[in-house]
Amino acid sequence: MQFESKSSRAKGLAFHPKRPWILVSLHSSTIQLWDYRMGTLIDRFEEHDGPVRGIDFHKTQPLFVSGGDDYKIKVWSYQTRRCLFTLNGHLDYVRTVFFHHELPWILSASDDQTIRIWNWQNRSLICTMTGHNHYAMCAQFHPKEDLIVSASLDQSVRVWDISGLRKKHSAPTSLSFEDQMARANQQQADMFGNTDAVVKFVLEGHDRGVNWVAFHPTLPLIVSAGDDRLVKLWRMSETKAWEVDTCRGHFQNVSACLFHPHQDLILSVGEDKTIRVWDLNKRTSVQSFKRENDRFWVIAAHPEINLFAAGHDNGVMVFKLERERPAFSVYQNQLFYVTKDKHVRSYDFGKNVESPSLLSLRKFGSNWVPPRTLSYNPAERSILVTSPTDNGTYELIALPRDATGATDPTDLKRGSGNAAVFVARNRFAVFTASTQLVEIKDLSNSTTKSFKAPSGTTDITYGGPGCLLLITPTNVVLYDIQQKKQLAELAVTGVKYVSWSNDGLYAALLSKHNVTIVNKSLEQVSTLHETIRIKSATWDDSGVLLYSTLNHIKYSLLNGDNGIVRTLDQTVYLIKVKGRNVYCLDRAAKPKVLSVDPTEYRFKLALVKRNYDEMLQIIKTSSLVGQSIISYLQKKGYPEIALQFVQDPQTRFELAIECGNLEVATEMAKELDRPKIWTRLGSEALIHGNHQTVEMVYQKLRNFDKLSFLYLCTGDEEKLTRMSKIAEHRGDFVSRFQNALYLGDVESRIQMFKEIDLYPLAYLTAKTHGLTEECASILELCGLTEDQISMPEPGDGLTKPNVIVPTYKANWPVKEASHSSFEKALLGEVGAADEDAGPDLLNEDIPVATDGNGLAAEDDADVVEGWDMGDDLGIDTTGNDSDFVNVDNPDAPAEAAGPGSSEADLWARNSPLAADHVAAGSFESAMQLLNRQIGAVQFEPLKPRFLEIYQASKTYLPANTGLPPIVNYVRRTIDETDSRKLLPCIPKSLDTLATVDLQEGYAAMRTNKLESGVVTFRNILHSLLVNVVSSEAQVDEAKALIAKSMEYTLAMSIELERRQLAAAGSDSEEGLKRQLELSAYFTMPKLDVSHRQLALMAAMKLAFSQKQFSSALSFANRVLANGGASKLVEQAKKVKQQAERSGSSDKIDIEYDPFADFDVCAASYTPIYTGAQSVSCPFDGSKYHSQYKGQVCRICQVCEVGAAASGLRLWVKGL
Amino acid sequence: MDPFSGEGELLNITTAFYTHAYPAVLDFDTSALSPENKKTAQLLKYRAQIALGQASAVLSSLKSSQDAASRSIAALAQQASGDPSSALETATSLSESDPEDPIVQICTGTVLAAAGEYAQAIDLLNKHQGSLEAVALLVQIHLTQNRTDLAVKEVAAAKRWAQDSLLINLAEAWTNIREGGSEKYQSAFYVYEELASTPGTTSPTALVGQAVAELHLSRTEEAEAALQQAMESENVDVQAIANSVVLASVMGKKGDVVQGLLKQLQEKDGHHALLKDLAEKSQSFDTAAAKYSAKVAA
Repeated sequence: MQFESKSSRAKGLAFHPKRPWILVSLHSSTIQLWDYRMGTLIDRFEEHDGPVRGIDFHKTQPLFVSGGDDYKIKVWSYQTRRCLFTLNGHLDYVRTVFFHHELPWILSASDDQTIRIWNWQNRSLICTMTGHNHYAMCAQFHPKEDLIVSASLDQSVRVWDISGLRKKHSAPTSLSFEDQMARANQQQADMFGNTDAVVKFVLEGHDRGVNWVAFHPTLPLIVSAGDDRLVKLWRMSETKAWEVDTCRGHFQNVSACLFHPHQDLILSVGEDKTIRVWDLNKRTSVQSFKRENDRFWVIAAHPEINLFAAGHDNGVMVFKLERERPAFSVYQNQLFYVTKDKHVRSYDFGKNVESPSLLSLRKFGSNWVPPRTLSYNPAERSILVTSPTDNGTYELIALPRDATGATDPTDLKRGSGNAAVFVARNRFAVFTASTQLVEIKDLSNSTTKSFKAPSGTTDITYGGPGCLLLITPTNVVLYDIQQKKQLAELAVTGVKYVSWSNDGLYAALLSKHNVTIVNKSLEQVSTLHETIRIKSATWDDSGVLLYSTLNHIKYSLLNGDNGIVRTLDQTVYLIKVKGRNVYCLDRAAKPKVLSVDPTEYRFKLALVKRNYDEMLQIIKTSSLVGQSIISYLQKKGYPEIALQFVQDPQTRFELAIECGNLEVATEMAKELDRPKIWTRLGSEALIHGNHQTVEMVYQKLRNFDKLSFLYLCTGDEEKLTRMSKIAEHRGDFVSRFQNALYLGDVESRIQMFKEIDLYPLAYLTAKTHGLTEECASILELCGLTEDQISMPEPGDGLTKPNVIVPTYKANWPVKEASHSSFEKALLGEVGAADEDAGPDLLNEDIPVATDGNGLAAEDDADVVEGWDMGDDLGIDTTGNDSDFVNVDNPDAPAEAAGPGSSEADLWARNSPLAADHVAAGSFESAMQLLNRQIGAVQFEPLKPRFLEIYQASKTYLPANTGLPPIVNYVRRTIDETDSRKLLPCIPKSLDTLATVDLQEGYAAMRTNKLESGVVTFRNILHSLLVNVVSSEAQVDEAKALIAKSMEYTLAMSIELERRQLAAAGSDSEEGLKRQLELSAYFTMPKLDVSHRQLALMAAMKLAFSQKQFSSALSFANRVLANGGASKLVEQAKKVKQQAERSGSSDKIDIEYDPFADFDVCAASYTPIYTGAQSVSCPFDGSKYHSQYKGQVCRICQVCEVGAAASGLRLWVKGL
Repeated sequence: MDPFSGEGELLNITTAFYTHAYPAVLDFDTSALSPENKKTAQLLKYRAQIALGQASAVLSSLKSSQDAASRSIAALAQQASGDPSSALETATSLSESDPEDPIVQICTGTVLAAAGEYAQAIDLLNKHQGSLEAVALLVQIHLTQNRTDLAVKEVAAAKRWAQDSLLINLAEAWTNIREGGSEKYQSAFYVYEELASTPGTTSPTALVGQAVAELHLSRTEEAEAALQQAMESENVDVQAIANSVVLASVMGKKGDVVQGLLKQLQEKDGHHALLKDLAEKSQSFDTAAAKYSAKVAA
């Protein structure tokens, strides 16, 4: 019995072809899906209304079909766990449903007397077979041919030919006209003649209704079961079918029947509560099974393996028809076993050869019952086999010397008994369950002695030399045959098999779900539980138990550690393990060799046995890594070994701490570099007394106080002194005080008190230590005398703690915990390791211990260790990531996090250009530069420009909540990373100025908005004054732009001056003269031609209107010379004519010589004729009469006219 | 395990907090959280409230709490409500009494750093046991002190154990923008861009960060677009205005545009670093300029 479920009446059953699943349809309308191997209910499907009678799995698709009393056929997906669709059509209960083995068809039989075929792909009814004139109870497809067999309560069994239907439905898609016609005609025939499915045979013989019918899987046979309590066997040929025989035995209605898929057997179930097995050839009953209370309704066979299921009133039972476990026995390199056809064969493990049959056991026991056990006697070369037939029989048979093929045994002894086993060369024990008697027999089969087994004993097995194991359902008893005495008893339930280790020291007791390992005195060594059934077990030569479950081979060490060795496709019975090969018998009793990887259990075994060489060997030769082995090692208390496998620093650190390997832990801590890790390392090192590591950790963690105390404890005065200096650097008075106390440094304490104005304490300290001079000086400082202060009685001065042992020079001798023999084995080849370890230790310790100049030696050691960092602190440019407290060089800035210089500082450092200094916020230096370069003296007008540049230099990046934004520096060198080449972004590049701003100025000129024009051009000047350009060519461009802006500013200023005069209404001749002069000068600056025309026109018109015909004529001529817009030219021509006509003379003599070349003084707006003395602005080049020297330039309003200057720098090569 | 990192149930609220989406922090539903996380979330809410300028409300709700964490929050609130001296006092005492409490470390670290007590703040924050916020604070302090090297190192160390944390990514973006070189600017840009484009985290901070990165990359037009987007939000971020000033200057915008923005900034946050800085520089300009004059007056 494999599995049994409890439910309401089971009406339909279906095995999954591959998985260990069975579908059960119930009378209660539920469909259950069970895993019969695990015994779990996987799913329930409840959509039918009323009993569900028919059920079937699809062979390949994840589908099943069901049919019920609600007339419905439902197709389900067990993956999506829902009903896909329903086929409606039957007009009464659906009795059975089956999938076709290849076509997308479903066959159903119904109480509406029809049998129907459905296509489940297009969900249509494709054929209805009528003919039965009572309920159609069952209909099945033939497994290969286009046949259907059906059973009906009309007492007939019918065979239908459906080849027509197949032809029709597998017709090619493109049909010729004729085909279509034929098809149409066929359709016609359908209507009247039923040519799709025709009745081939009608089998009559049952004289009651027929409940079930089935085809034989390979032979042309049919079996049927009916209410006449008979099972009938029918045979058919191409042309006819006839009844062969009847199986009589059921004494109630027979519900269902089927052929055994592989053997010549028929199985049937009935309402008489029995399952019966019949011999197909003899039609005799072979076996029967009776349930007490439940009527059977249905039976199903697994298509592949030896499993059957029967549904009854209260559920389903899944069972095997025969014992699959072959009887076998192993002796040294030989296996003796009984094959399925009951031949005894041997198998040689050395040669991997199967012998021919040694012997046939055909006549032993019953035909259908294989022998249960086989016991081999090598001395006599005989076997003892047992069989359960006739309540237990055994035979003692001598094997022939040579395998000559199947021969019947010649020399055999037999007797009755349930178990028989050899217990000595010439004795065997036979156990009879009914009498509970164990008889010891000699080879002539006569009883030499006997004893009563403990009550309830079910089996006996070999129990070691001269002993037996007597097995009861709850106990195992070790029994000494000689002494007739029970040696030991162990409570183990349900032991079925026993497997002895090869050396006979241990045995594994196998129960259904447990393995109990015992020693030869039956003391329990370990036990383990499996949820999946345990099938067999065998022992490795090294004492590892391998056992098989239904789907795995697993191992167990004596201590109960177990794991999976490999998975199994099918159940096997383990026989022997040799190296990587596992020998076994499969269900068909065929010897097989499976290869396994024994690394894992060998390694674990070596670990248990502390066989480090073997472990080393395994590690070297196999890829034994992975988290499982590491956690295994850790769990089992071998962190030092696990350490060898781990790469991950975190895990390595944990393991190193666990096994006290501080060296590795330190290494990992450096790699991980996290405060938590360092702290743990520190506390661990402290426990070890490894104060050097502790020191390093404290340095790393900046635990100044702890560090000081450590130095005090270890007596390292040198470093304590340095700590005191560090405290001073840190400005940490408490720490200073503490260090001074540790050092006994009275002066330093007094000094410190004085520094923080705690004069009374300073005085007290000085007084206590009898430092009278110091006392006096303190009093003097405070302006007090001794009698003005009252003091407590001074105690004794604090004496400095003495160093008794110079511990700091070396660590405490620590027990060499980290070097397990395993590591030794691992680190060097065995043997060499010891030699290596010696000198290593010496090298590490002796120099420090013996060198009188301990400090020097230690410093060296520190350098070697790589955490002396005297050079790195503060500057820290090398990227050396050591950030320990620097104890050895306290004079370096101890506060590593002191502020650095900002990028703005770099800018100022990197560039000689004023604009860069402005951006850097270094206005003063920028002004100095400008003053030197262009004689800038009046900076006020530049303020907006300065601030503009400065404003553009920094961005504000929001960062942590609660803190101001992070300030970053905007560069123009965005690709640069070399800090010496970083330069700030300067707004208003030359390009922008030359395009945008200049055009704006031009527009102002054109549109006669001179006020704003002056501002614009002056802004251009100011923007260029504090600016940078990117090339030498740009420098020239910039200079041109400066000159141009100057000219426009000048021109506009002159005209504005004139307009001011005009607006002031100075109509006096003087005033008029000046206006005329200014309008003439307005034409002088080097404006663009189109703009000069405007100036000329203005001057021309003014002159003309004031009758200055000479001037007007000259302006008109200049306009005409410039050409351009016709309107201007026309006007100029007119003016020219009029002026010429009017005599070409000026009414007022003005200071303007149209034929002379002159500059206009930007201050006085008077001509500076060529050759005359003048000064100019060092920036924009505007000209002035020399009396203006030293004044601020009127144009740029920044520079001093005539100042000595080196010239404006806007660009530096290489920047 | 740091409660602020990883995939914990606090992920959303911490993300909101780190990206300064304070209203989202306050709106966060904490009812389903475990008690411990609920406490952490409450502390975050207090801090968000403070950041939103509701310091006095926080102070009053924490009046009765005497545990170190609450007191450190109170110190933050005091500072935000314009009482930096008592904030500093509380912070100093807390940093001595409870230096191991992570909340104390962060809050008092912030107070100390904001008060310019960088050395003290660093000492306290260095005691952290794997707190990302402490790392972020340290990074900022190092950057503020122009110790980019230390900041970079801090980030690199934290990345070893908190690679994927938002806060560490942000901190790295900070150091990247400081370090510069177009690649680093670009990678910082990606961090902020990703943040800004993630639905649900469109905090102004992400936009501002994106704009700042673009500004450093000289992509002024893109920066302008991002800032404009930030400026359009209902409650304009101060840093968006400040950086708009910077951007307008970089782009050489007219003085009145810049002045308008400065005025806006003045209204929003009169104590902004930019304003203080400009006032200071204006002063120093005048002082420096006064040293020069023309030899001859006109």
